[in-house]
Amino acid sequence: MSYSFIKQKLSTNEPVLLDGGNGTEVLRRGVRWRQHGIEDAPDVIREIHIDYIEAGIDILTTHTFNLTKRNFINFFRDGDHMALIGALGLEKRAMELCRSAVSLAREALTQTGKEGIIPLAGSISPVMHLFRPDLSPSENDCLAHHKECVDILSDSGVDLIFFEGMNNSREAKAALQAASGFDLPVWMSFVPGLDGNLLNGESLSDTADLARSQGAEAVLVSAGSIPMIKKGLPNIINGSPCGAKAIIGRYSPPSWKPDFYPRFEDTDEVSPAEFSQEVNSWLDQGVQIVGGSSGTTPEHIRAVRKMIG
Amino acid sequence: MGYNELKSKIDAQQVTFLDGGIGTEILRRGYTWASHQLKSEPELNLEIHQDYIDAGADVITTNTFQLSKRSFRNHFANNEHLETLGAKGLLDRASELIHESVSLADKARRSMNHNDILIAASITTLEWCFRPDRSPDAEEIYDEYLEELTDYADAGADIFLFETFNSTPEAEVAIRAAKEIGIPAWVAFVPYQDGRLLGGQSMKEVADSMARNEPDVLLLNCAPPDHITAGLKQLAPLWNKPLGVYAHVGKFNPPEWQFTDEYSADQHLHECKQWHDLGATVIGGCCGTTPAYIKKVTEFFS
Repeated sequence: MSYSFIKQKLSTNEPVLLDGGNGTEVLRRGVRWRQHGIEDAPDVIREIHIDYIEAGIDILTTHTFNLTKRNFINFFRDGDHMALIGALGLEKRAMELCRSAVSLAREALTQTGKEGIIPLAGSISPVMHLFRPDLSPSENDCLAHHKECVDILSDSGVDLIFFEGMNNSREAKAALQAASGFDLPVWMSFVPGLDGNLLNGESLSDTADLARSQGAEAVLVSAGSIPMIKKGLPNIINGSPCGAKAIIGRYSPPSWKPDFYPRFEDTDEVSPAEFSQEVNSWLDQGVQIVGGSSGTTPEHIRAVRKMIG
Repeated sequence: MGYNELKSKIDAQQVTFLDGGIGTEILRRGYTWASHQLKSEPELNLEIHQDYIDAGADVITTNTFQLSKRSFRNHFANNEHLETLGAKGLLDRASELIHESVSLADKARRSMNHNDILIAASITTLEWCFRPDRSPDAEEIYDEYLEELTDYADAGADIFLFETFNSTPEAEVAIRAAKEIGIPAWVAFVPYQDGRLLGGQSMKEVADSMARNEPDVLLLNCAPPDHITAGLKQLAPLWNKPLGVYAHVGKFNPPEWQFTDEYSADQHLHECKQWHDLGATVIGGCCGTTPAYIKKVTEFFS
């Protein structure tokens, strides 16, 4: 199993390099943001994966963040309303797209000869908008939702489950419980607020501990600006595998979209060289897993690889 | 023509024409609807307005559906989070785009020497229109409406078209703010297949609430023709003031629209005739309808 390479690195304290933004990269390459670009431009998605692989990553992440049934139902009053006025097959669309996304990532690994060497992480977002902890549903709803997501990704053949951008402890716990029945390693990243705590104000260190006790093999901070990540980082470092991914640029959503939409401005504010310096400072603090969130590109990841060696 | 002239036409129960879909027309013409394309593709906006004027619309609507300060703010945990992580000027964006939208609609009518056409500001619920469960507390939103309506008024809108509303409490606040400003308020609610509002209220409740709050025109919109018919059948007998409808054709395919041939322009006209028979005199099209749909309607009723 390719994940054993990662386990090896983690146990010997070597850095593990993740990829950077997928959604922002899809937009940057001129693809229209609908169905994550998977239907319109599968070649571009595959090419982005290949570019990250060639930049030197240790783990590839599927382009499935915010790609769940809930992301479609959210536009409607409920499932019945969606069935009446929504496009045909909308209830199955997310599942189909997730499967396609995993296939595209697999193809990228095969084409680059990295199949069996670089493991594939199945990315799962919070049930609701990652920046809106107040919208996170009940524990039971979270459990059911995440179980379905893990089931699809596991069945499609990912090597680990990566819950990304969790913003409250209740949902984090439910997500880990949902993944517990599957025989896959689980990682989890948290969105920090401005004060080093979790975005909803809960203690980040307590939530990180909770995640570890509930089965998360690695805990990360992600989806924050570089200063936000810096502030959150000390609260997750405890000697066990932990990591960080930062956003570059400023979030510029369109007004009409109720869910996350990966459009960022000013993403050239942090050059690949500057980014790798930041990452270096995280490694110095004791972080092992590093990568980029929205706004980062294969060039940023390449610069980090160069720095890590 | 000012609003008084249009009002005389409506009061005389002459059929008055709205335009059709704008967001969906942007998609159909090959563009995404990100940021409404107001600044990025002004010509596209202009052409769509012109095409609807050409089709015979008496009232054209601004390309501003779901455009509000709150919609931007909703992407962040709180104001501090937005200021730190959000794009520069994000909280001013709605206001800027609102001004842009009215100016483009105005430019369209002037370019066709049709200063008689009125501009309706398209304003939907503060939270997502199809999610009555997320409706904000009516007590807390008056100032928010007043601020948004002031932008439209300053920019020169002639009518406030509150559309795709899913419950009466929010509509009441919107009407109150419109009356404060002194521009006519038209209110359009979304009916469901059972003839009730999407939020569950009966048409009796709608009629009672609107009788107290007196919008200038009461309409039903943003639902497929059969849902519009179901709602209109229940509402029309309870309402003896101006009544209107505009249905959507096709299917919502988030984040875009699926254009289907289930309701052709001819079939849509056939539905409009039935709605007219039921008492609707203000008629237009919602998502998925095109200038060709509106032209069929205006040619028949004129």
